[in-house]
Formats: sequence, structure tokens, C-alpha cells
Amino acid sequence: MIEIRIHGRGGQGIKKSAQILARAAFLKGNLTQDFALYGAERRGAPVVSFVRLDKKKIGTRGYIHEPDYIIVLDESIDDKVVMDGKKKSTKVVVNGTAYCNVNASEIAMKHLGRNVPNIALLGAFCKVSKLFSLKDLEKAVSIELGKKGKEIVKKNMLAAKECYEKVRC
Amino acid sequence: MELLDGNQCAAWGARLARVQYVPCYPITPQTEIIETIAQWKADGEFKGLFEQVDSEHSVLSAALGSAATGARTFTASSSQGLLLAHEIFPNISGTRLPMVYVNVSRAVSAPISLWCDHSDVLSVRDFGWIMLVCETNQEVLDSVIMSYKISEDKKIVLPVLVNMDGFVHSFTREQVVIPKQKMVDKFIPKQDLKIKLDVRNPKSMAVPVLHGYMYFRSQVHRAMLDSVSVIKKVHSDWYKLTGRKYDFFEGYKLSGAKEVIVMMGSYTTIAKNAVDQLRKKGRKVGLLRIRVLRPFNEILFKKMLKGVKHVGVVDQSIAPGLSGILFSEVRGMLPSVKVSNYIGGLGGKDVSDKEFIEIFDDLKKGKEVRKWLM
Repeated sequence: MIEIRIHGRGGQGIKKSAQILARAAFLKGNLTQDFALYGAERRGAPVVSFVRLDKKKIGTRGYIHEPDYIIVLDESIDDKVVMDGKKKSTKVVVNGTAYCNVNASEIAMKHLGRNVPNIALLGAFCKVSKLFSLKDLEKAVSIELGKKGKEIVKKNMLAAKECYEKVRC
Repeated sequence: MELLDGNQCAAWGARLARVQYVPCYPITPQTEIIETIAQWKADGEFKGLFEQVDSEHSVLSAALGSAATGARTFTASSSQGLLLAHEIFPNISGTRLPMVYVNVSRAVSAPISLWCDHSDVLSVRDFGWIMLVCETNQEVLDSVIMSYKISEDKKIVLPVLVNMDGFVHSFTREQVVIPKQKMVDKFIPKQDLKIKLDVRNPKSMAVPVLHGYMYFRSQVHRAMLDSVSVIKKVHSDWYKLTGRKYDFFEGYKLSGAKEVIVMMGSYTTIAKNAVDQLRKKGRKVGLLRIRVLRPFNEILFKKMLKGVKHVGVVDQSIAPGLSGILFSEVRGMLPSVKVSNYIGGLGGKDVSDKEFIEIFDDLKKGKEVRKWLM
């Protein structure tokens, strides 16, 4: 089983990121769980979402305490929360300057005109994790953002591609 | 296969059952159920009447009225919403009306929690509703459909409550098969109520009976007991159609088991994982998941636990001043078995596979205990 935890702030597309990754995994024949913790959360507040994927039945539920991957959309969130349960083998992908990183916000601004860096950073995640190709990601994004139209998918994928190329570890 | 969360599954169940009336009021973590139906209504994909009323009490009152006219009725709530509607629950079962209510379990206030435990749903345990408690999103969808078949059966005519866990089901997407509309139509053709409100033939229902009261209560109890055979048949018919098997209880690796955990809800997924780990090491452990809480099929329950030495009841609820609620229910059914009680997962607190393994280790020691998984 592979477990992914995504940290960011309300409005950055944290829940959607988990849905996109789960969709990509689902399309590749995995069983998946994706969910976000919210309730009191709102725009700007710290939000966390989760993805589990496995070829066989997933024998657990709830919060992911020891993720295999941590994706960080906003570097200003408390390190203690973000790095909680990080294993030696855990790979961390950051919109910023630490760990495997790329300035996804800047790239998102360039392609979308808005600081919604979630899909851009997923491009970097694809490169680092090798779990999905950009093509896998595009299929998943097309389904999960389907209602928003082809143009928005295209722009996001351009940002994802740039992050894929620019991410440094 | 689709990726659906528990709330969407409940909405799909109602849609496929072609429910005719959905009164609603929002509350986390249930809101998405009625939002989904509202969206379908706006898009013209849902043909029933959809109405937001002023409170959960009014929701269930409206549901009672609609069910009494013979309209297929659906609604959903959680926690404080279910508590506010309390008064109407026994009115619906006592009036002998069919309907389906989905509760998305959330701890009761105060203090406020948005996350799951079973204190809300267990508060309506004695109100004469058939109660199904789910482990997966697929089970939520299937259960809503099966519930109409059970509820509207002429021998039963009682309301059904389908329970899922807040967040763990309601906001988590999993792989789900959405049944074909044609198949569902055939499975649950609309049953007409024998006695119903009709402007062309006015009558009163649920009138004062004074001395006759006990008779009516005994009838609710009898219908509940009779529903055992109906539920069994509905489960088996659904299995023939879909290949998905449901029963009053789910026995997980019970064969030869000496120590068994008894529990219900989504956390059973984690407990099963602990069972697998210990079985690999040769330990004789198993799990019994309660799915049909009411009627409680006591005969089957005892049969499934035959030969077990120590049962650990894991309760996601507490009856303060006594014990966990499931524990107090089942302990008396197992006079020659040791029964321990573990209170865990209140307000959505995690219970890990390691903690379930510790429970099994505890049970193996043989001493009856009552513990909190803090």
C-alpha cells in the first residue's frame, strides 16, 4: 500500500489534489481511498487531505500517520504538523525551497493567472514518485476537472509539465 | 466502477429507489447527501419533490406526513440533527410507516465534535426502527435500496435507518458499483400502503388508544421479529442480482476462533487487518461485525460465536455510568463466554491495527476487562 498526505491551505485545491491522485491510481487498476479533513476549515486555513492506493484490498482507514509521500502546497504551515510521522524513506515534494522542490505558485501564476498551484505541483510529484506519468495525470485531471472545461485542464497541464521538468531534489 | 464517497452513495441509493419526497436540513457531515440530490433536482435528473424545511424536527415531521400518504420518502441527518428529531422517530414506527433515513454518525455535543462515533445513532436504538450499520460505501448504497424492500414489505411496514460513519465514509471516496436503474426498478417496485392518508377517503392515523397502547407496541416488536425472515430473503435476492453478500452479522475468520472482537461500523476494516496479521502467526482470532443492529438476530449471533472463549466488544459509544452500549446489549447473550469491553474511537479518535492486536493479546490472557482506548 502507498500512502500520500497533502498539506496546504483552504483554496489551494488540497481536496482536489487527493481526488486527482486517487483517480490516476484508480485508472491504473488500484483500489483507492481519498479524503480530506475539513469542517472548521476555510479559505486560508491549514487543510490536509489523504490518498491510499494498493493493488489489493486496503486494510485501514482514517488519518495517515506515516505517509510514504508528503506533498506541501504552502511552506508556511507548521513543520511539526507537516512532517509528523515522516519515515526515512518518505519523499517530500514542496511548493517552495525545501526537500524536492519547485516554485509551483509562480508557475501556476504564469499559466493560470491564479495562485492555485495544486495540479502544477502534482506534475513535480509525478517526476519524484514515478508513480504516474504526465499522461496518467492528464487523464485524471480531465475527469476530476471535467466540469470546468478543456481550457482549464490544458493550462493546468502546462503548469504541471513545467513543474515536472523543473523540480529539484 | 466509480469513485464515490459515502454521502454520494446514499444519494445514489435514494435516486435509484426513485424516492418521491426528500425533506431536508443540512448538517455536517451529512450535507453533501442533500446537496447531491438538490443538484440532481436542479439538473432535472431527480424527479421527486425536494424541499428544505426549517429544522430536523420539521424534516422528520414532513417525512412522516409524506410516508403516511404512501409516497416513497427519504431523508438524512447526523448527530444533533438526529437528536432534534427524536420525538418523531417512534411516531413513524408506531404509525407503521415505511421510509428510509440515512444517519451519518457524528459524536453528540458538548463539546462539539464533527467526527464519528455511534452515540447519535444508538440513541434511537429503542424507537422501533430497523437499523443497518455499514462498513463500506458500497454497503451504504446497496443498503438504501434493500431498505425500501424491507421497509415496504407488507408483513413489516416499519421505517429503516441506514448508518454510515461521518468522514470515514461520508467524505472518503472508494470504488463503488452503481446498480443499473432497470435492475433496481425490478427489485423494488413501489408497494402501495394498505392504510394511508388520502383526501378522497379521509381518516385519522395514530390516534390516542389509552388502554390499547400495549397491543400496538407489541405489534411493533412482532413486526421487528418477523422482519428477520424478510431481511434474510432481501439479502439473498440482492446477492443473486449483484453477487454482493450481506447478512445480519459478518463473520470474519471465525472458524476455530477462540478470541473474537465484536463491533460495528467502518473501523472493522482496521480490526480485520489485525485479524489477518495474527492469523498469519497462527493465532486463533476472528471478528464479528454487527450489520443488522435491529432486529438483533440473537439466535444467529450465539451460533456464530459458538466455541469462542473470550469476546472483546469494541464500542464507539458510551452509556455513561454503565459501559459501552453494544457491550451491555450482547453480554447477557453469552453467559458462558468471557466478555470484555473496550471504548474507543469516540469523536473520531483513531484506533490503529496495533491497538486491535493489543486487544487480542488482552483477550488471550483470559481476564475480563473494561478499558478505554485513550
